[in-house]
Amino acid sequence: MKKILAMILALAMALSLVACGQEAADNGGDAKDGKEYKVAMICDSSINDGGWGAACYNAMVSAADKMGWTYEVTDSIAQNEYYDSIVAYCALGYDMIYAPGNQYTDAVLQAAEEYPDIAFALLNGGADTPAKAVNKNVSSLLPDAQQIGWIAGALAGLMTKSGTIAFIGGMELDTTKGKYAGFGEAAKYVAQQEGKDVKLLDCVYAGSFDDSAKGMEFAKTMIEQGADVFFGDASAVDSGARQAIDEYNTAAGEVKVVDIAQPADILGQNECIICSQCTDNAAMISASMQAVQDGNFGGETLYGSLQNGALSAGAMSDLVPKDIQDKYQSYIQAMMDGTFMK
Amino acid sequence: MTWITSLLLATVRMAVPLLFIALAELYSERAGMVNIGLEGLAAIGSLVGFLVCYITGSTWLGILCGALVGVVVNMIYAYATISLCADHIVYGMAINIFAPALASFIYRVYFGTGSDLKQIELMAGIGIPGLKNIPFFGDLLFNQTPMVYIAFLLVIVTCIFFNKTRAGLNYKAVGEHPQAAATLGIPVVRIKYLSCVLCGALSGIGGAYLTTCYSNTYSQGNVAGRGFIALAAVIFGRWTGGGVLLACLFFGFCDALQIRLQVGSFGVPYQFFQMIPYVATIVVLSVIGAKKGGPQANGKPYRREQR
Repeated sequence: MKKILAMILALAMALSLVACGQEAADNGGDAKDGKEYKVAMICDSSINDGGWGAACYNAMVSAADKMGWTYEVTDSIAQNEYYDSIVAYCALGYDMIYAPGNQYTDAVLQAAEEYPDIAFALLNGGADTPAKAVNKNVSSLLPDAQQIGWIAGALAGLMTKSGTIAFIGGMELDTTKGKYAGFGEAAKYVAQQEGKDVKLLDCVYAGSFDDSAKGMEFAKTMIEQGADVFFGDASAVDSGARQAIDEYNTAAGEVKVVDIAQPADILGQNECIICSQCTDNAAMISASMQAVQDGNFGGETLYGSLQNGALSAGAMSDLVPKDIQDKYQSYIQAMMDGTFMK
Repeated sequence: MTWITSLLLATVRMAVPLLFIALAELYSERAGMVNIGLEGLAAIGSLVGFLVCYITGSTWLGILCGALVGVVVNMIYAYATISLCADHIVYGMAINIFAPALASFIYRVYFGTGSDLKQIELMAGIGIPGLKNIPFFGDLLFNQTPMVYIAFLLVIVTCIFFNKTRAGLNYKAVGEHPQAAATLGIPVVRIKYLSCVLCGALSGIGGAYLTTCYSNTYSQGNVAGRGFIALAAVIFGRWTGGGVLLACLFFGFCDALQIRLQVGSFGVPYQFFQMIPYVATIVVLSVIGAKKGGPQANGKPYRREQR
């Protein structure tokens, strides 16, 4: 009797785990040439993190809807599961694997070697990554990290009153470091033009993309150090930081500390968000999907920049005075013209 | 606010969720039940606490339901290890795999695969009039959410229970030598089940604390290893209420310190600061040593007929 019960328990647990795999979102899958194309996304953060994961997921969904592909996602996976998750989708016959992050590079390259017929789109992959894939079936979708930093940094330089700005990172990735560097140089340059001095606090890393409590602690500490404009690259950790900023502003009775979000336009999600740096990943994913359908996918790096419309500055909140909005737009224009910081 | 005060405030904030989960393990291990499934129990507690609070708007109801679901899930572990004498570690690990997956599943079923950030209203802090105005200690001890007061009261209750009451001594006897305890008429199996109820409830509360009193959003993986640190805190605290409190404050302090040092790191690599809590653990454990182990019958199955 006990043995049977134990087995039922074990079975129940196993089955509930199986049930946790997400079901495919069926949207018809009516690609033009009659073949049903499928894309799968893996992600280490959650797709409802109010930041990075959400934006990347939405980008895939809108690209898939546009191209008539079916899609699937597995999120909140640990580092040791990157490869297994990718290979699981490969084995299921997916046409494209979409891995939104530099941290998946090794797992993607290994899987790409074993599955030569499957296309791998690596968002934030290195410019040299496609060349490393022996089967030439990996493409890097590479939004310009420096420009992303610039878009946020120029506004930070205009908006800071205390002269101290802060950046919160999740993990020490090349793209995160690029954004941090761009953020700092743009803020310093713009502030200089305005006759101000700006200090960018050291880049901090939460060591995770999920621990929103830690994001709160970072933000609180950085506010104590005088930071009044925040930017970050840390998914749910950033959501925690925004919560702490909102709490600080509520206690102060006015909005003293503000945040610039990325990579989707989420103005209004928190009171402290004054603007979002937006990355149109959907355009780059659609381009990759088109290449898969045309049979010429692979081996290239698709850059995303202000110039080709993949990067932009989102809507502004009323917290940004009109004259600053105008100045900011002129800086953005300078970035597009290639005359920024020159 | 001085640097020190804010460091200590952060210490308390970061220690409280750990404290609930570590007390859960203390009650479990004192009855001989090594439950390493804390991470999973806290994860499901965190989700249910958030969900109930999101639906009803009541943080208290959220915490209560977080506790209840912790108990229910922990009954899997309890039945397998107490009644079926299965291995504690294996079932603890099973809970760690099963419960967070169940939490994600419930979240997806309820909210769909949408990507909106759901936010709730956190439990409000209650300052104790008069006392909260004491300089330095006022904010630290008397201007917190009720859950913080409850956590510290629980430590005091735990100390009294284990050291000053007959029931507490009986409870500890089950963890030390269940056969001997049984000959004295102590209901061993019943106490072991009771320990699992307490463990599930407190872990669930610890998880629910994260979403109803700390961060106002739920994201998968938000427990972020706290279940395992709590496990270490019990060993660190030498299986006593006061020791566990100190251990949790120590871990909270290390984490709060590393966050502050990272912000003003002056070019020192940030990994160095992230190491601090773990290096400190190794140092302290090697100083304390393993001279005095935990409860003697910890992790051993209890079979009534066995001698």
